[in-house]
Amino acid sequence: MATLEQPKVRRAARWFDVRHRKLGMWAYALNRISGIGLVVYLYLHLVVLSTLSQGPGAWDAFVSLARQPYFLLLDVILLAGILIHGLNGLRIALTSFDVGVKRQKVLFSALMLVALVALSAAALKIFGG
Amino acid sequence: MENRLTQEMMENPFAEEPKRSSTWYWQIFTGVALVLLLGLHFIANHFIATGGIRDFADVVSYLRNPIVLVLEVLFLIVVATHAMLGVRAIVMDFGISSQAEKRLSQVLTVIGVLTVAYGLWLTWAIIH
Amino acid sequence: MKLLDITLQIYRYKQGEQPHYDTFTVQVEDTAHVIDAIDKVWAEHDHTLTFRRACHHSSCGSCALRINGVEKLPCITRFSEVGDGNIPLRIEPLRNFPIVSDLVVDVSGFFQRMSASDMSITRYAESTLPLSVDNLDEIVQPRAVVLPDNLTHFNRFENCIECGICMSACPTMAVDNKFMGPAGLAAIYCALQKTDDADEKAHLLALVDGEHGIWRCHSAFECTEACPQAVDPAGKIMALRREVTANRFKKVGRS
Repeated sequence: MATLEQPKVRRAARWFDVRHRKLGMWAYALNRISGIGLVVYLYLHLVVLSTLSQGPGAWDAFVSLARQPYFLLLDVILLAGILIHGLNGLRIALTSFDVGVKRQKVLFSALMLVALVALSAAALKIFGG
Repeated sequence: MENRLTQEMMENPFAEEPKRSSTWYWQIFTGVALVLLLGLHFIANHFIATGGIRDFADVVSYLRNPIVLVLEVLFLIVVATHAMLGVRAIVMDFGISSQAEKRLSQVLTVIGVLTVAYGLWLTWAIIH
Repeated sequence: MKLLDITLQIYRYKQGEQPHYDTFTVQVEDTAHVIDAIDKVWAEHDHTLTFRRACHHSSCGSCALRINGVEKLPCITRFSEVGDGNIPLRIEPLRNFPIVSDLVVDVSGFFQRMSASDMSITRYAESTLPLSVDNLDEIVQPRAVVLPDNLTHFNRFENCIECGICMSACPTMAVDNKFMGPAGLAAIYCALQKTDDADEKAHLLALVDGEHGIWRCHSAFECTEACPQAVDPAGKIMALRREVTANRFKKVGRS
């Protein structure tokens, strides 16, 4: 029967299609994107850290790079990813044990508010010095 | 008249008990542990460290502290595990064959072990 | 009561051809529902339009489709909910099912999942064998139906009309052919409430305790949001996780 079925890879795009979707779907899409981003960051971080094995010169060169404003901006974006993924992850841990399921949307909003506050405070510290 | 519903149910893959899965528990456990471990790692390296980032000498003395060493190694193992489990979860969503699922777990285990091994080597190289 | 001019952009697919959208305009009463407009397109414009409809009162689950990208039952969707004629209505089939023709999708996989829970509580009225006092035992093997003290979960699933909307809304169903899906998992939770036989309970929990059962759900909760009958499949999946986890600890405790 020649029925219409889309190829799997294109269908995966639906994970991130939040049009007409509710908060839970936003949480899922954000968690998946931040998770992928954090895995990429993990390996970038480990590569950067390898300069430590080459002695002070190589590492300290990186440190001066890390103090540049654009780099600090990347740090803030990283922190946003960490906060979103971590706090939403706690919500998922709770709902997975059937805790807070009925209020999962409110829980998401509250946690993202915490993330925003924490991110703002951190950004102030990072750029304020 | 033959009971066709019974026939279909006998061939129904959804009516067969699948292999029990515990990976989700590990994902939650490592995730919650990371909130603590990553929090500590971040604060120690960027908020306690003067200037927000340690220079070479500071990194060496930091890692030579035995408590720090244990926590950082623990953090490395937990984060590598959580990352591998996360990647696995995404690929499993594609409904791949059982063979492919086994292969996936093997490959990710190897990558995870290599990641931790690299981190341990690097830590040792810095301290000495 | 006034008349509305409703424009519909309907997804068309016939096997062997490329999918495309056809636009039609029909006149309907403002108190009618979206399914009536689709009926009119068939009646007045194009007899090749293929779609499912039956009860017209959200009882049968046949007509489920997407209106402007959102899963709905068109038989109970008023035009006032979807623009009152001011915007064209994009009518598309459910997601995550193979499309047979136009708005009709292949739901065999759906019913395969639903039948995994073996919800064979039979009422005499459902039997198709001729009834007589002599053969009542043959027709029905009654299972002890123990109604729990808290009837809410038990009754909630009775609301399920097997329309498939939750399966369409679920982002995991979009990609994973092995996933049981919100409807199938909710059905198993319901079956769990209806039995107090320990072996049966263990079997039902074992059915969902796999990589492509409850553990493949990623908590998007779209199924619960989209369900027209307030079945709350996501809540049932989380309840199953709790039950499976508690069951494991019991096993550990005993060994």
